[in-house]
Amino acid sequence: MVKFLKPNKAVIILQGRYAGRKAVIVKSFDDGTRDRAYGHCLVAGIKKYPSKVIKKDSAKKTAKKSRVKCFIKLVNYQHLMPTRYTLDVDLKDVVTVDALQSKEKKVGAAKETKARFEERFKTGKNRWFFTKLRF
Amino acid sequence: MVAAKKTKKTHESINSRLALVMKSGRYTLGYKTVLKSLRNSKGKLVIIANNCPPLRKSEIEYYAMLAKVGVHHYNGNNVDLGTACGKYFRVCCLSIMDPGDSDIIKSMPGDH
Repeated sequence: MVKFLKPNKAVIILQGRYAGRKAVIVKSFDDGTRDRAYGHCLVAGIKKYPSKVIKKDSAKKTAKKSRVKCFIKLVNYQHLMPTRYTLDVDLKDVVTVDALQSKEKKVGAAKETKARFEERFKTGKNRWFFTKLRF
Repeated sequence: MVAAKKTKKTHESINSRLALVMKSGRYTLGYKTVLKSLRNSKGKLVIIANNCPPLRKSEIEYYAMLAKVGVHHYNGNNVDLGTACGKYFRVCCLSIMDPGDSDIIKSMPGDH
């Protein structure tokens, strides 16, 4: 009876090109909108996970391995698997529905979320979110 | 094991409570609508038949854990659960949104 599809919830995308990828809910539209008459949410997810960094790596290699590629998408609730994890990264100002209207806005928003995800990855927190789901 | 065998009495009581819910309450039958009811936090109790495929069973239990909703494992298969609901089809899982006059939610949810 508790709503759990709320902002900052970590979810796994189940369908589409990004199936199997982890994402975080930025904004949820429980009752849908005029264009999408079903419950859906705006998610920011990881397109390409950061690789495993080992102690032997040089600083340049570490920087290269810690790169994260992101995507922003509106996804139907049916195509998500919610998890018990959360990721509290503030993306509300950057990831918005009108950022999806044009290609350049989308790329700009993705670059900004990439920066925020990378800095979160480098702190070593939310380790689960940045590991690839094996299946 | 504490509850080794479910007695006839409690089984009948679940059936009678379910019948009352079917008559006076609101419910949905079927996997898709059960997940929908859990997502929009309308579901109050979920009942799963015992021959539900284990992956689907764990998925429903996980959603119910996130939504803090009780899950009851019905002592019978989907054919029996359908009969208990008064339907002529099989029901693998169902979600009770409004119990009506029944006290099924108050007396059952401790069961896992």
